[in-house]
Amino acid sequence: MPFTMRKQVRLGLLLAFIGGATALAQGPPPGAFAIDITGYWTPALHEDGLERGNGPEIADYGGFALNEAGRLFALSYDPSRLTLRHHQCDGYVMPYQMRAVGNFRIWEDRDPHTQQLVAIHVWAQTTEGNRVIWMDGRPHPPAWAPHSFTGFSTGQFIGNALVIRTTHLKQGWLRRNGSPESDQATVVEFFVRHGDHLIDTTVVTDPVYLTEPEVRSNDYVRQPADPHAWLYACDDGEEITGRAPDVVPNYPLGNQPFAKEYSERYKLPLIASLAGAESIYPGFAAKAGNATEAEAVAKLQPVPNQRPETSRAQDPEPHDGEIHVLPIREQVYMLVGDGGNIVVQTGDQGAFVVDSGEGKLSDKVIAAIRQLSGKPIQFLANTSARAAHVGGNSKLGAAGSDPSLPGSFFDLQSPGRATGLLADPAHHATLIAHNNVVVRLQAAKAPPDAMPADTYLEERRRKFHNGELIELFYEPNAVTDGDSIVHFRRADVIAAGDIFNTTQYPFIDLQSGGTVQGEIRALNDILNQTGYEHDENGGTSVVPGHGYLSDEHEVAEYRDMVVIVRDRVRAMINAGATLEQVQAARVTADYDTRYGANDGAWTTGKFIEAVYRSLKQPAGKPK
Amino acid sequence: MPVVSNRVSAALILVFSISGHAQRGGRGAPQPPATPRAAARIDITGYWVSLVTEDWRYRQFTPPKGDYESVPLNPAGRMAADAWDPVKDEAAGEQCKAYGAAGLMRMPTRLHITWQDDRTLKLETDAGTQTRIFHFESAQAAGGDWQGVSVASWEYPRPPVYSSFGGLDFGFPPPPAPGGSLKVTTTKLRPGYLRKNGVPYGSGTVMTEYFDRFDVPGGETLLLVTTEVVDSEYLAQPFWTSTHFRKQNDASGWTPAPCLSR
Repeated sequence: MPFTMRKQVRLGLLLAFIGGATALAQGPPPGAFAIDITGYWTPALHEDGLERGNGPEIADYGGFALNEAGRLFALSYDPSRLTLRHHQCDGYVMPYQMRAVGNFRIWEDRDPHTQQLVAIHVWAQTTEGNRVIWMDGRPHPPAWAPHSFTGFSTGQFIGNALVIRTTHLKQGWLRRNGSPESDQATVVEFFVRHGDHLIDTTVVTDPVYLTEPEVRSNDYVRQPADPHAWLYACDDGEEITGRAPDVVPNYPLGNQPFAKEYSERYKLPLIASLAGAESIYPGFAAKAGNATEAEAVAKLQPVPNQRPETSRAQDPEPHDGEIHVLPIREQVYMLVGDGGNIVVQTGDQGAFVVDSGEGKLSDKVIAAIRQLSGKPIQFLANTSARAAHVGGNSKLGAAGSDPSLPGSFFDLQSPGRATGLLADPAHHATLIAHNNVVVRLQAAKAPPDAMPADTYLEERRRKFHNGELIELFYEPNAVTDGDSIVHFRRADVIAAGDIFNTTQYPFIDLQSGGTVQGEIRALNDILNQTGYEHDENGGTSVVPGHGYLSDEHEVAEYRDMVVIVRDRVRAMINAGATLEQVQAARVTADYDTRYGANDGAWTTGKFIEAVYRSLKQPAGKPK
Repeated sequence: MPVVSNRVSAALILVFSISGHAQRGGRGAPQPPATPRAAARIDITGYWVSLVTEDWRYRQFTPPKGDYESVPLNPAGRMAADAWDPVKDEAAGEQCKAYGAAGLMRMPTRLHITWQDDRTLKLETDAGTQTRIFHFESAQAAGGDWQGVSVASWEYPRPPVYSSFGGLDFGFPPPPAPGGSLKVTTTKLRPGYLRKNGVPYGSGTVMTEYFDRFDVPGGETLLLVTTEVVDSEYLAQPFWTSTHFRKQNDASGWTPAPCLSR
């Protein structure tokens, strides 16, 4: 043995002695004991094997604590929805992923220098689900950060378990028959290992669709060798040709034609699989047996004439009087805190800003933009004339300048003298919007310096700025008659304005030219420009007018919701229903716990009225 | 070489000094064996209610004959299940065949777990009014009844061979792992049903269970019972299930009921 090697071994022995003795003297730090869950694992499908393998049946919701909204959502769900381009490759939300068929591979990621455990990775064969469980104590992202199918997970070893908390999940399902899990769900997991048997117990808390946490567990058996076949590619394509873009397969609310199939096939009381949390506990069989047919049938439709439920979703607004910056991609950022979301693009030229918020925190918005860009705001685009998006126009405009104007034709011809809007455009950011934004702002007697001076009339307005093509697309008669979406092409970020938000039903402003058909068309226009990175996850970022940073999956779910509500209202109109009858029918009952409001500027009632009136009286030209 | 030796000696002095200090501090010296009750690594006593969220249709209701989805039966097992006749079971006084140890924990039931004495845990169910006894020392009971003979031990993650340095053992015991599980091995069972519709297990069945307690942060306390049923008579491979219970504060809902064969 060479001398140096002997020295190393002895040094190692020394360290081992000392390390062992020190550990003995100090004892293990609390919670530091780590079970090993790494390796290849195959799920043991000895529970719920049929539904996890072949698939579940319609109206089989037994064992789920679904509330009314969850049950109605599931009953309205048509599996044909998966033929839509934007759902063909939907990933699995994490709790369902862990329950899916297919093998799993788990490995550790350790800091090469300290050997501290940084993360545990879980790769799921089905859908290529790629989970990261952060073990380094990092905090969870803020409420306005993006969601994903795997969510954001942090873990720690407690006792003999690995305990994981997951937030920021996308909307998905608890079961593959439409039993929903909302994007507000959070999950606590307990991994324990007994020999070559690994068990993952998941506790799903979903304020939107569940009345109590859903507890399930998944069993896995260790595989001694790599089972291979880890890839699961998916690209969407045309599954049904010639279908109109505003079609989303769904069953009419309260009229699920196959609702009784499951109970009849297995000779169960109809109410059995519809009863929600009751169905989980001992004594349920007797209760279900005593239920009347009328009680069961009542579960298939909304309780009529009931005040709408309200949203149980977390408010993504910080409400702390501060502006928070969320980097999106390249040099594009989302600014949160002043009502409507603001998008900022930076580069060699001045900042290009989309929307200016409510204007209550404009000074802080300007300060935040100065932190991002050494150059002043050069352009400020408005996605609509709504107050939450133009409120800061005057201040942000005044804080900027447009160096492209001095010496130009516009400088000589238009400033002050020609338009009366700007005394000195070079020392003011150039405001851009669809012309109807100006019309609406003028009608609202907005100050002149809040008016966009650079307007467009038809499909789009293009600008190459900071090395990137930026396009504004006009979306006629969506939430207003002046809506634009703004697409940063290189960064692949779309500012959607109030056409899309994650906090409420779309604010279809009939008085300002909004219509439900235009809203659906606009949402589809966004979807026509987006792409996903993998299985409807990531890819094009979509900044909502309000709410958390999204991608096409959230837009598709939102589009589905608007289409489905439209379908229900239209069906009732065709049957001769009045607005009062439509509202009494609670046509949004499966979405109210996510988007509903009974007070404030935009209530569920107003949304239904907007849908009803825009279907009864298609919008004309802006007044 | 002398230099290295001196370093080793110094290290050993340091090590034993620390080790001795630790032992004087109350660790390391052999203690009289604690009773299983005193040595309990988790507390699973109290009232628990089952959460029937998986295999729901099979557990809340009696499935039709021949519906043994998910259970890895061998041909003999399928044949026995296909021959299920609850009337015959009732006539033979065998209404409790689905309430034997390998089927009992899957019933919608409440559990009441108590220490019968310092070395014996008792688990009672209101469904079927059954009692299981977990002996922490090898039990001499003859078994042959619905609940068989169960031997219990506290389990916690520990390597079969401890080494602080790549296979070398310097005589230091492993640091104690926190938490743990209750392991219960049950044998000598009277043949019964895994599911109420006659899905069978035989007298040679060996059932291994692990009881784990989870305290959900800011929420409820759960009991997870992970079960492996090995039965060469009727199963083609081990049958794994994991069954959950939620802790109750008291005996609310405790409703002892007789066995039902269908």
